[in-house]
Amino acid sequence: MNIESLVADLAAKVPGVVLAADPSYVKSYPTMRLSSAAYLLPAASFLKERGFDYLEIITAVDWLGPVSPEGYTRGGRNPHPFSAPEAPALVAVKNPAAAYKPAFDMLWCLANIPARARLLLRLEIPREDPAVPSLTGLFKAADWQEREVFDLLGVRFEGHPNLKKILTPDFLQGHPLRKDYVHVKDRYDE
Amino acid sequence: MGVILERLPGAVKGVPGAGVVLTTADVFIDWSRKYSLWPVTFGLACCAIEMMAAYASRFDFDRMGVMPRPSPRQADVMIIAGTVVKKMAEPIIRIYHQMPEPRFVISMGSCANCGGPYYDSYSVVKGVDRIIPVDVYVAGCPPRPEALFYAVLKLQEKVQKMRISKGAGATPQAEKGPRNVAA
Ligand code: SF4
Repeated sequence: MNIESLVADLAAKVPGVVLAADPSYVKSYPTMRLSSAAYLLPAASFLKERGFDYLEIITAVDWLGPVSPEGYTRGGRNPHPFSAPEAPALVAVKNPAAAYKPAFDMLWCLANIPARARLLLRLEIPREDPAVPSLTGLFKAADWQEREVFDLLGVRFEGHPNLKKILTPDFLQGHPLRKDYVHVKDRYDE
Repeated sequence: MGVILERLPGAVKGVPGAGVVLTTADVFIDWSRKYSLWPVTFGLACCAIEMMAAYASRFDFDRMGVMPRPSPRQADVMIIAGTVVKKMAEPIIRIYHQMPEPRFVISMGSCANCGGPYYDSYSVVKGVDRIIPVDVYVAGCPPRPEALFYAVLKLQEKVQKMRISKGAGATPQAEKGPRNVAA
């Protein structure tokens, strides 16, 4: 299978999907960027028809960047028992080279196993009330992975049949992989 | 055996020379307990790999009578080998209470001792001794099988000191005395 022609076909079929610029490539796999969440389902079903029937990964990146050391026990509020007194407190320092923005970068990784090909879809969504369509209608494997992303990052998957926590215990509040996550002390923290 | 252990101290109480009987019984009971510390098959994280290596032929804990049991109801020791996450805390407490007394706990590795590398984490219990009583702590990340071996030897020393006249148990509840002394 020729991946270049497939990418061209996909871009022709679904207009909101373009081959991403180099920096957002994951390793050297062809990465397509969706311009809006509405193009996700057409793009995924097109790819599924063309043999990309294995949904490997759904994940997201929080691009908010370092926020504050809240939620860590180290630092001023609650000194770490073993840190030297002169050790600098943990502070939130932004890397000037990184393009921080209040957005989640969603990532779907689809694989065509007989053709040994892998293709990634990316979509940037705003951090406020993040929501994307669910792929559970197309791939059974999307079920738990979407629940994991929902649990850890708080992205809502519209159309998911059973969108509830999967990894964190019921008493944990918030979404721990968000950059602005603040840990609320629970019964095991005293 | 359990019935005898529970009733013996009450039965011989007041009989002249009972102390001799109990002391002699202690020697045999502690001796047999010491060499049959059966741990419940239970691993939580990377430390469990070292624990499995300890059970296997190279270190061969069987020669000390340490034989992993598939059920907590057949076990004497629980080796907390690994990171105790908050979600796992409740099952650990439940397994602990399913073990018959006297029961012992070995906390293996930094994670089980104090949270270890995950001290700052939102999801880790900072030490298994916050939820269940611990008899022996093993330091290391992970401790080598030899270190776990040393912990077993230390636990055997502890078992050796148990007296049935004092309940012969390691837990505070058992130390209070056997429950059924009326017989
Ligand atoms: S103490 Fe180290 S080796 Fe053991 S479970 Fe924790 S991280 Fe893993």
